[in-house]
Amino acid sequence: MEKDAGSLIQNNSSKSAVVRRILITGICAAAILGLPLVVQNTYYIGIANFMIIYTILCMGLNLILGYTGLLSLGHAAFYGIGGYVTAILMTRHGFSFLPALLISGILAMIFGMILGIPTRKVRGDYFCLLTIAFGEIFRLVAQAWIPFTGGAMGIVAIPIPKIFNWVIRSEVDFYYLGLILVGFTWLSLTLLIGSRFGRAFVAIREDDLAASVMGINTPMYKILAFSIGSFYAGLAGSYLAVYQTTITPSSFRLEESCLMIIMVIVGGMGGMLAPISGVIIMTLATEAFRSLAEYRMLIIGVIMVVVLLFRPQGLFGTAAFKD
Amino acid sequence: MLIEVLIVGVMVGAIYSLVTIGYSMVYGILKLMNFAHGDVYIFGALLCYTLLAQFHLNAILAVVLAAVAGGLLASLVEFIAYRRLRAAQHRMISMITALGAAYVIQNSSELKWGNQVQSFPSLFPADHIVIMGSQVSVTHIFTLIIAVVVIVAFNLFLKYHKAGKAILCVSEDIPTSSLMGIPINKTISVVYFLGGVFGVLGGVLYSASYNAISISMGFRGTIIAFTAAVIGGIGSMGGALIGGMILGLSENLISVYVSSSYKDPITFLILIGILLIRPTGILGRTEAGKV
Amino acid sequence: MALLETRQLLKHFGGIMAVNDISLTIGEGEIVGMIGPNGSGKSTFVNLLTGLYTPDKGQTLFRGQDITGMQTHRITSIGISRTFQNLRVFQNVSVLTNILIGRHCQIDNPLWKIFLRPLAARKTEKEGREKAINFLKLANLADRMDEMAKNLPYGEQRLLEICRALASEPALLLLDEPCAGMNPVEMDTLAEFVRKIKAAGTTVFIIEHNMRFIMSVAERIIVLNMGKKFMEGNPKEIQADSGVQRIYLGEEEENPC
Repeated sequence: MEKDAGSLIQNNSSKSAVVRRILITGICAAAILGLPLVVQNTYYIGIANFMIIYTILCMGLNLILGYTGLLSLGHAAFYGIGGYVTAILMTRHGFSFLPALLISGILAMIFGMILGIPTRKVRGDYFCLLTIAFGEIFRLVAQAWIPFTGGAMGIVAIPIPKIFNWVIRSEVDFYYLGLILVGFTWLSLTLLIGSRFGRAFVAIREDDLAASVMGINTPMYKILAFSIGSFYAGLAGSYLAVYQTTITPSSFRLEESCLMIIMVIVGGMGGMLAPISGVIIMTLATEAFRSLAEYRMLIIGVIMVVVLLFRPQGLFGTAAFKD
Repeated sequence: MLIEVLIVGVMVGAIYSLVTIGYSMVYGILKLMNFAHGDVYIFGALLCYTLLAQFHLNAILAVVLAAVAGGLLASLVEFIAYRRLRAAQHRMISMITALGAAYVIQNSSELKWGNQVQSFPSLFPADHIVIMGSQVSVTHIFTLIIAVVVIVAFNLFLKYHKAGKAILCVSEDIPTSSLMGIPINKTISVVYFLGGVFGVLGGVLYSASYNAISISMGFRGTIIAFTAAVIGGIGSMGGALIGGMILGLSENLISVYVSSSYKDPITFLILIGILLIRPTGILGRTEAGKV
Repeated sequence: MALLETRQLLKHFGGIMAVNDISLTIGEGEIVGMIGPNGSGKSTFVNLLTGLYTPDKGQTLFRGQDITGMQTHRITSIGISRTFQNLRVFQNVSVLTNILIGRHCQIDNPLWKIFLRPLAARKTEKEGREKAINFLKLANLADRMDEMAKNLPYGEQRLLEICRALASEPALLLLDEPCAGMNPVEMDTLAEFVRKIKAAGTTVFIIEHNMRFIMSVAERIIVLNMGKKFMEGNPKEIQADSGVQRIYLGEEEENPC
């Protein structure tokens, strides 16, 4: 794993280490790409698709929570905004998938920007509650505004997405579409994190005041972290809409935001790849105990408590955080 | 009409204050968002329901037993999930274990009681009295009186009893209190215990006055307590009262005069508005950081 | 024209006058010291200069430009940089990253360039890194650049903080009690370092408690007492002045360390 945010491009490691790294990356990439060839059961591909959605969500959230150190319990709202925008544009206004995806991301980003603005004045747990309120307002309005959002029944019959000539219909199709989105997310975040912007986020997390003395416009950067993190949530929501073909407010409850935070923290905040391990563990735990559905939350709760009691920095996390 | 709405609002507000006091007190000491709070109190309220409906226990005995059980559960959660993490780690970590504990309690309660709404037996006679031309249910009056009495008693306890003073000291400064010979762990356990007790009392009163109880009231309870605590200013007793009252009143006024489906969104909007104007709540202390 | 000039700066907290009517100038290329007992308003003064506090009255001019009430990050970007009395390096990142964060304003990579011209952005980034390493070499920290900052010994963390402030290539460097907690050997290293900084063309303003250090480094010294400017002069004049001795001795009776 990375040593810290700024060290992504400064690994002056020896040649053999580089070769080993490339080899490991190659094997992982091949395994991920080849998964549908080996695993024929679409049920498992379906699980992988949900992991993909949470990976995108958690990578975005990690920018806000892990790098910038802001606790947001409203991430599900941006996810939801993306989902509803795509659903409405594609069912009612005849948009095709790609523009709908892009607009979903951008609208989620704009709302992320709006939620980021109060970080200037409202801090700590007060801000955390503000994000809860934001998320709940979104969900409750989605539930109550029946003419626009379809209320609790949501929006159904979202058309099958098509990108140029590629009709995305089967689980495997969605798997590859998801991989493209994950690849895009990973690449763009890596570029961002390796730049002065990524360092500015880390500086804010470590010491807000010292960061401002370094010439970092801290309020602006917090808003930026929120906007960018939310953009990816919008993409994930858009993917969810076409994948499920329906969208309902119950997918975007506070519990969902909590789950994302748990994934990021269990995996370990701050690194680029650590949250993914959280996603995999939490998704597998949920699926493995599907037959014990009524014990599901109990098991997840125990995992959370036990993991963090014995490894408070998360499974693969390196950074210990201050307030 | 208005008088009735106001009285119900004040009653709900008093219940919320009761629930919030426990939450805010825990926060004041450990700066921990106790996500398990609502699940603890709904566990207690459900237990009380079983004692009343299945075992036909005397009402007072049932409430006391349930409250004690809730209090013990709250201290147990603190002992298992929070105590080890108190020392150095980031607060976010104990927040997540709190959430984990909440899930465990919620799930266990659901296994026992299911997730249906059950009808909670009345604790008070179903009479009405007439105040200024409006019919007011006796249940509401009793509930209000009980909540107020408990809150006042607790404040007296904090002011005049040794253990109460210890709680106030610990919430100011843990290391110094420890130097003064106050047993920290014991005091914190007591705080959690009391928080659980007040929560269960609030939960029972709420369920009894609406004749309904369900597991979903737990998480909502946590959010209500958090919201009320923040509106008033986290960690402040007076703030908990004000926050609870504002929430109770606004909820009832909105659902009667605006729309019940927009009750929660508007409540949250009020919260956001208050935070934008007073970033640390109405009675909150602004912390001036020394550079 | 003076590099920095303050005109009757005034700041009070409630009834306490922390900084009372302080006017001073700092010329280009000087090493100016500011001394005074605890609570005499030295740190508040630096916080006023860097925009962390806003003065109640008075003006601050930097190269003739009025910077009173300007936001902290803007002040840094026009060339004033500082360190903190209570060490504030970024603990959980590497030594080199600390410097790179300090160079935030100097690495000119706008957001669009990072995504749309990643290779060009990476080149700028590389140049930035090389410069950052040069700053570490100044303080003999270059061989520890991959270490987490929190693993450095205290004295080196202090040097790192100064390097980080220097990395923004300021015209004026403000050091807020740089010697706090240092042993005499570390202090000598620091004095040497400050002279190097000056030789490289940066103006230095030092707030310090330690008389021995400030006398050996500063060319001109300003004495504060109770938020007011008590006197100003070269080290010899300050040492000879009985009033200054009284301020310090008076304090030393209560506070022998």
